[in-house]
Formats: sequence, structure tokens, C-alpha cells
Amino acid sequence: MNIRCAKPDDLMNMQHCNLLCLPENYQMKYYFYHGLSWPQLSYVGEDEKGNIVGYVLAKMEEDCEDNPHGHITSLAVKRSHRRLGLAQKLMDQAARAMVECFQAKYVSLHVRKSNRAALNLYTNTLKFTISEIEPKYYADGEDAYAMKKDLSHFTLLCADDEIPSSDSLSNAMKKIEIDS
Amino acid sequence: MPSGQPLPPKENSLFKRILRCYEQKQYKNGLKFAKQILSHPKFSEHGETLAMKGLTLNFLGRKDEAYEHVRRGLRNDLTSHVCWHVYGLLQRSDKKYDEAIKCYRNALKWEKDNIQILRDLSLLQIQMRDLEGYRDTRYQLFMLRPTQRASWIGYAMAYHLLNDHDMALKILETFRKTQMVSAPFDFEYSELLLYQNMVIQESGGVLDAIKHLDMYKENIFDKLTVLEIYGSLYLQMGEYHLATLCYEKLLRRNQENTPYYLMIKEAKQLHNDECVYNMLCGYRKKFPKALAPKRLCLTFASGNAFQSEIDSYLRAGFHKGVPPLFVDLRSLYKNKHKVQIIESLLEMYVNNLTKFSSFDSEDTSCKEPASALLWVYHYLAQHYDYLDDIQKALTYIDMAIAHTPTLIELFVTKGRIFKHAGDAYEAYKWLDEAQGLDTADRYINSKCAKYMLRANLIKEAEETCSKFTREGVSPMENLNEMQCMWFQTECALAYQRLGKWGDSLKKCHEVDRHFTEIIDDQFDFHTYCMRKMTLRSYVNLLRLEDVLRSHPFYFRVARCAIQVYLHIHDKPPTDASSSNELDTGEFIT
Repeated sequence: MNIRCAKPDDLMNMQHCNLLCLPENYQMKYYFYHGLSWPQLSYVGEDEKGNIVGYVLAKMEEDCEDNPHGHITSLAVKRSHRRLGLAQKLMDQAARAMVECFQAKYVSLHVRKSNRAALNLYTNTLKFTISEIEPKYYADGEDAYAMKKDLSHFTLLCADDEIPSSDSLSNAMKKIEIDS
Repeated sequence: MPSGQPLPPKENSLFKRILRCYEQKQYKNGLKFAKQILSHPKFSEHGETLAMKGLTLNFLGRKDEAYEHVRRGLRNDLTSHVCWHVYGLLQRSDKKYDEAIKCYRNALKWEKDNIQILRDLSLLQIQMRDLEGYRDTRYQLFMLRPTQRASWIGYAMAYHLLNDHDMALKILETFRKTQMVSAPFDFEYSELLLYQNMVIQESGGVLDAIKHLDMYKENIFDKLTVLEIYGSLYLQMGEYHLATLCYEKLLRRNQENTPYYLMIKEAKQLHNDECVYNMLCGYRKKFPKALAPKRLCLTFASGNAFQSEIDSYLRAGFHKGVPPLFVDLRSLYKNKHKVQIIESLLEMYVNNLTKFSSFDSEDTSCKEPASALLWVYHYLAQHYDYLDDIQKALTYIDMAIAHTPTLIELFVTKGRIFKHAGDAYEAYKWLDEAQGLDTADRYINSKCAKYMLRANLIKEAEETCSKFTREGVSPMENLNEMQCMWFQTECALAYQRLGKWGDSLKKCHEVDRHFTEIIDDQFDFHTYCMRKMTLRSYVNLLRLEDVLRSHPFYFRVARCAIQVYLHIHDKPPTDASSSNELDTGEFIT
């Protein structure tokens, strides 16, 4: 098992995973749109063979500059890879990137009213709360719960991330001098 | 020289309104104004108006009329850059990119500094990977509009793609110096710096790339990428201590990234497995919740260490009930000795759990939940399936099902055992059973449909999929629209097995069309990414698209198509019935 940020190469395999697992599907161009607009926000979980067994496809909402927030377009974990805590790990990575790269204040998502399992995951495991009901959100006429999660705790986490490179240049220069 | 047919002021202003309508997508109004010009007997054959009318008709879906008008307009005014440009746009909308490039070139003959035409030409050149042409066009755009950001970026990128890193870097650095960092958070500047660093790295300048990061890292918000680049550069330079620090920082962000641990192994110059194992034990202690170091320990441990590691790993898995436990451990099965150890532990667990409800025989104070035994049975079924002992695999899966008859995973595993044993029909029946237990789960639904297709039950598979496709559309159509390649590929293979060559090829070509479509998808991103500055991802997209058809999905379906075509070639259909059946007219050209 390996969790990492998604690259353009992964997008087709994410689409495959999505088609296997979820009823909401998108054409490749929509995956490209995510990957090329917010390269930092989508994550994949892969097995030892490099197959994608879970992913989170995420974006920033573009219409609110003074209150930036992220949005989870799609989150899936193959049924065969449940109970490893993958969903939470994927979400945590995406959420942190939203704060770090785009100063997101919160993250939102939609879930089908009838999808008890997903609702349970978002509410209990991932600590989202329902903010409103969006009537007839889905193409088939079903309502959606709009859910939100505050991200301010990530802001603290991000502040504590010095990059260990203070002496790097002088070290590297020294090495070059010795070599030559 | 713009046009051989200048219009008087009144008609000219009407013509300008056609252009405006086109830009604002008010196609109906555009046609109205075109009619006003063309109904004047003096201007009924006015080339540019006819061309614009044609272009407008194209967007209203009237393709034949569109071509007719545009061509007539062009014939009437061969020296008009508008007519040529319009003809190019029309061809481009039909994805005839080579033809469109020729048209733009003709347009530029008559209006060599037209920015819009040059931009459109550059898009087609990058789409077609005419990199030299792209560089020349970007140079012209750069000279014409030196103050625009896109002019610099496009020009630099052209050199980068041609592997002239020095020139690309010169342009990028000159451009960077002109950038005022406006807001405290400037994502676009951050992306520009990362792109610049990417080009430096690709030029081979390891030290330069480090210097560049040292200088600008404060302006880059993508801290993850910064750390990953530092880590990899330090490794390349042999700065092992610094590399280790970077990857340890990265681990603090994400403990489930397996390569980070392996990079630390590299950085610490650990060449024997025991040292790696000891290092991993350290990280396991440091990150008690992380799965990756626990799992990696099993790969690097051997002998007694492995015995005790795998023992506690398995116990934890069975105690909690982790369905993917076997898949997780499967790669250990390359080592026969490890398989032996696992097998004897499993036998011991079955024995003890049955007798004492505990993994151990003596200490019975620690009782396991009843489900522990179930998960051991389930694991054993997969274990023996992997080792090709079908009888034992079936015995254990049946014991598991007898223990808990409602667990979907068990039926999936039973189906898989039959699949591996070569009985596609029996396999499908067990997946169908699983699917019946949870009809709201698309994963099970998909697996079931896949097993149906393996059993050549195409109608049934389509019916199964229809539970998750859009209502009111045929499932096949909806799956095609959603680019559901696995389904179409499995269909193609099923038709091939059934000797329905035409149907098989139809599915193969549907998948092929998805790949064509994905290549066409690039088009809009040529402009979009320059605006968004996500240039690293953009360059990676171009590189992906260059080799898109090397994707395994394409390989499978291409192999199927090739086999079918060879079969048809070797045994051409003879009588009427088989040629009916074949129905390949549109594919054999």
C-alpha cells in the first residue's frame, strides 16, 4: 500500500477506479481539469502492483476569493480494500494541501441522501457536518446533503514545516570544490 | 492586403456585427446580419460574409451547409486572411488539424502579423507536436506582444520541449525577474518557480536546482514537492544526511508513502536486509498508527524475526477483520520459506481458535471474537487458491461461508477460486450471489458484470450494469459515453470467444475512439495551463499523451482486435450467413 499525490499518469486509472466503485462518473477531460488546475490536491492509494485501489479527486471552489475553500469532487476506496483507513488518509493529505497551497478555510462535499454508508464515513470518521440539503442535486432527482469540514487545525500543522536545507548550499559548494 | 472585396461602410458595420455575434455565440443573430449583406445583389457573393455565415452555421450543427458556404466564400476571395482563417477554424472543429494548419499558413500569407491567427496556429502545432513550427510561431508572438505573460511562457516552453534547456532557462529567468510578487500567496508565481526548477533539473543541473530552491523556496507553497525535489537532488549528489532529513520530514506528512522509506534506506546506504529491517522497526515505533512501516518490516525480515513479525501481523488482521489481508501479503509468497511459516501459523490459529477461542493454546485468558476464525478460514482459502490447491481452497471457503453465510467477501472469493480453476460459469454464479446481498454497491455490481462477461453472458452483464447507468439511455450507450473501458474490453473479448467478430471489433473500436478522444482533450489545456501557470503538470500531460496508447487498457483491446482481424484474414467468411454475422464493413478499409 502506498499513498501519494496523483500525477497526470494516474488520472486514467482513477477514472477506472471511479467507474468500478461509484455511480457518479466523469469523462477523462474532467479528471484532466482537476489534475491541471490543482495538481497538489488529488491523491491516490495504490497496491503493490501499482493498481489504484482508492483515490480522492479534489478541487478549489473558484468563485469565492475572499473565502477560499476546497471541494471533494469524488472519493472512492475499492470494496476489496476497505478497513485500512484509506479514505481518511487520502482526505487528510488532500485537506492539508488545500490549506498549504490555496489557504483553504474549509472543505465541502456532496453526498446522496440515501447513501448511509458514505454519510456515516463523512460524519463519524471524517468529522464533516451537514450544512444544508440541496434538493434534486443528482441527475436522477435525488437530494444531496452538502457537508463541510473546518480546516483551521491544519493551518497550525503547516506552520511547523521548516525545510532542512539551511546549510545545503554551502555544503554542496564545498563538495564541488573538493571534487574539482 | 486584407480582402479583394471591400464593403461599403453600412455593410462593413454589419459584417463587424457578424463577428461580434460569433464571438458572443449569438449564432442566430449572426445569420440575420449575414443575410442582410448577402441579400444585397451587389454583395451576394461576398467572400468573407459567406465564410462567416458558414462558420456560424457550423456551430448550429449544419455542417454540410457550413463547408459549402466557407468554401464558396474562399473561392470568391482567395486573398482574404479572414476566409482562410475561417476555413482553418472549420477544419479544426472537425479535428482535421493538418488541413487547418495549411489554412492558417495561407491566412498568414495575407496578414502575417495577425495575433489571433498566430495563436490558433501555435495551438495546432503543439497539438500535432510540430515543435519546430511551434517554436517559430511562439517567436513571432513573442516579438509582437513582448509584454504579455503568455508570450514569454509559450516561447520558453517551446525550447524546453525541444530540449534546448539553456535557451528555455534564459527566457524563464528573464521573465521571472519581471514578475512582481503581488499577494502574499501567489499560486501562479509558485507554479512558475516549480516549472523553472523542473527545467533546471532536466538540464542536468543538480546543484543549480538546489541553489534555485534555496533561493525561492519561501515563494513556493507546494511544500511537498519542494521536499521531494530536495530529497531526490540530495540523493543524487550523495548528500545522504540531508536527503535523510528531507525524507523524514516527508514521512511526518505522510507515513503511508512506501517509497519514502526506501529512499531513506538509500540515503542511509543500507545494503543488507537486516539493517533495513532494524531501521523500519524504528519508524514503526515512531509512527504506531502507520501501516506502511509494519508491512515493509515483513518484506525485509527473515528467519525468527519474520516468524514473530508475521505472527503478530496476522493476529492483528484476524482480530480486526481486514478483508484485504491476503492481497496485502501476497507479494511475500515469492519466498517459499515465508509461505511455509505463514501456513503453519494459520494451521495453529485454526486449531487454537476452534478449541480455545484464542490464537494461543495455553493462555486462554485472551479470547478472540468469533469472527477471527472466519477471517482465518477466508485467508486460508485465498492462500490455497494462490498455491493452486483448489480443493483445499474450496474446503476453507465453504467452512467460512458455513460460519457466516452473509459475508459478501466470501462469495467473491469463492467466485475467484472458480475463475482461477477455469470455470467461468460457476464463478459468475457466486458473484451473482454476492451481488444479490448488496445491490447498492457498485463495486460488487461491476465485479459481477465482469464475471458474467467472462462467462460470455453479455446480455446479463448489460442488465446488471444498468442498475448504475443513467435511466432512459441504453446501458451500453451510457457506459460508452462514460468511457467505461473495462466493460467494453470484456465485451470485445466475450464476442471474440463467441466468434461474433463484427461485434467484437465494434467494441474494440469504441475503446480506440476513447483514446482518440483523450488525445483531443489536450486541446483546451494548451491555452488553459498557460493562464493557470500549472506548467509542470501541463508538460507531464503532453508527455503522457505522447505515449497514451501504451496504456495497458489499450494493449488488451488492441490485441483482441488484431487477433480478430487475423482470424478474418485467415478464414474469410464464405457463405451469406457468416458474412451477415460478420458485419465488419466499416472496419475493413
